[in-house]
Amino acid sequence: MNLLAVSVNHHTAPVEIREALHLSTEEMKGLLADLRKDVFSEGFIISTCNRTELYGIPIQADYSYKELERFLLDRKPMLSVTDEHFQKFFSCSAINHVFRVAAGIDSLLIGDNQIFGQVKESFQLAESGQMAGVMLKRLFDSAIRVGKRSKTETLISEGAITVSYAAVQLIEKIFSALSKKNALVIGLGETGEIAAKHLRDKGIGKLTLTNRTYEKAEKLAEQLHASILPFSSFKDNLKDFDIIISATSSPELILTAEDIAKLAKKRGGNPTILSDIAIPRDISPEARKYDTFFYHDIDSLNIIVEQNMKKRKDEIPKVQQIIMEEMIDFFSWFNSLEIAPTIKSLRDHFEAIRMEEVKSQINRFAKEDQEKIEILTKRIINKILHHPTTTLRKTAENGVNSPEAIAKIAMLREMFDIKN
Amino acid sequence: MKPLVDILNWILPLLYILCFGVYTWDFIKDVRRVTNAKRLFLFLTLLTHTVYLLARTAAFQHPPITNVFEIFTVLAFSISLSYFILELVTDVRGTGLFIIILSFLFQIISSVFIEDLVEVREILRSNLLGVHVFHALLGYSALTISAVYGFLYLQLYNELKHSTFGLIFERLPNLEILEKLSFYSAVIGLIFITGAIAIGTIWLPRAFPNFSMGDPKLIATSLVWLVYAIGITARLTGFWHGKKIVWFSIVGFLIALCSTIVTNFISKSFHSFY
Repeated sequence: MNLLAVSVNHHTAPVEIREALHLSTEEMKGLLADLRKDVFSEGFIISTCNRTELYGIPIQADYSYKELERFLLDRKPMLSVTDEHFQKFFSCSAINHVFRVAAGIDSLLIGDNQIFGQVKESFQLAESGQMAGVMLKRLFDSAIRVGKRSKTETLISEGAITVSYAAVQLIEKIFSALSKKNALVIGLGETGEIAAKHLRDKGIGKLTLTNRTYEKAEKLAEQLHASILPFSSFKDNLKDFDIIISATSSPELILTAEDIAKLAKKRGGNPTILSDIAIPRDISPEARKYDTFFYHDIDSLNIIVEQNMKKRKDEIPKVQQIIMEEMIDFFSWFNSLEIAPTIKSLRDHFEAIRMEEVKSQINRFAKEDQEKIEILTKRIINKILHHPTTTLRKTAENGVNSPEAIAKIAMLREMFDIKN
Repeated sequence: MKPLVDILNWILPLLYILCFGVYTWDFIKDVRRVTNAKRLFLFLTLLTHTVYLLARTAAFQHPPITNVFEIFTVLAFSISLSYFILELVTDVRGTGLFIIILSFLFQIISSVFIEDLVEVREILRSNLLGVHVFHALLGYSALTISAVYGFLYLQLYNELKHSTFGLIFERLPNLEILEKLSFYSAVIGLIFITGAIAIGTIWLPRAFPNFSMGDPKLIATSLVWLVYAIGITARLTGFWHGKKIVWFSIVGFLIALCSTIVTNFISKSFHSFY
């Protein structure tokens, strides 16, 4: 199989290169159209914040990795990119790589859930751009199956592996019905925003946001159906919240020991979660000493992240086993697409039908006619198969596993339900 | 019938320890297949225990409440049965090992020391006594479960407070659920204890001419009842919750345990049957 692939990813390139080579959906569509013109007969592109990858079956058999790299860099010029920044894959290794990506074990955050959706979108783009033939469609099916099986049959995506999500996971270990709880998120930088989104996803009862830049809070509040408190006066309402997550970039404490003491008094015996996911810290660690306060800073949340990451790493061998099974399945299918075995299978299939029918009817004929029946039915089968056989042989002359041959063979096998 | 009783007497501790093993295996490894199988295993253990109790009653012509070790096997049964119902109702499956181990301990002591008494005091054949004792046992089983959940609450609370996230953190349900399980078990326990006291108050003066309100078992049970009644009222009125109420459950259980030991094994009165 002559599937060719190049990849610039977090293993090979720093973030500025990955950013520069990142392709938007529109750019991917354009690039696919260009690839289709004179590079690939079938192909697809995966582009996320951590990787940009081009896969395809070259029209010219001698098309090289270098040419494919040049093709990408011509459209996304980046002077500092060198050959070293590219990983190269061919045939079996390319299939293995795309399966690893779909399963999330090649991601920066192992078991990342987002990548599976992004891979699926890439496949859809290739199909809508008419860049997916019989072979790639089958590859897409297998890759999607790898992704799904990895999630359902292993624990590769279990547990929080970001500090924001770990904070929410911790909240779920304290409160049972989040729909009855009030949460406040202080600071809406990237971490705070993600934490707010996680809380909304978990069905928090009432979500309130506060941020120095009011407009930013307003925008996110609209998106998450949250309310807003002015940053200058949010402390007046602290007692109303069961969960307080702080993620500002303030160099000083946002909630001092004094604020915490006042809050403890006002909250009475009601449990309160204080998650400090800021560096430097926003909430005074004095909060720890109150019995009903559950205070966690970034260090304690990192313990959960590290534990979950280790567990995910332990699951990698199981995912690799799934990948192996799916690769065996894919290549069994692919190898069945060769011309000679297909012609033999086709003939065997027809011969089996002929023999079955002859066997069931042969006694209706006189002894002296039975041999003639054998000869006659064999001749009919030969005549029926003559044209398909010669057509397949001619197709093979255009090259082994050419897209045309694959398409014809796959259709033939499907129509006559030939599996071996 | 007697051979069946003898066989089941030794099969039961084996089943409880296996059950404990399956629940422990699932707690440590979190294997999805075991998660469902363990409930079935507990059900089969309880079914076997039911057969044993019925066979014992039929074989010796009296309910199995005539000596301490018969009481122990009923206690083992009622603890696991209460847990099983709680697991079915709440679908909280990760806490069974902490409860089933108690059933195993009661059952193994019972299996080793139990006597086959055919001749028992006439008073012990009373049906009202049977209802009275079963109420008391179910009540104490529920209080035991309440204390176990209280203990688990404290373990998880400590892990959360000190950021030491181990198996307890991973496998146990959240603090609110543990508190609810502990509280509802205590409520159920109090209801049964109330039933036991009510039946006892009606029946005891009739059955015993030397009945006295100063009976140690009566005083101890009333004290336990009072402790739990105060705790439950405090929780219902919102006066206490969280760690405080959990401690209350644990202290209540310890009082119940101490008073049971004292009244059953040390002090003697008309209320002592064994």
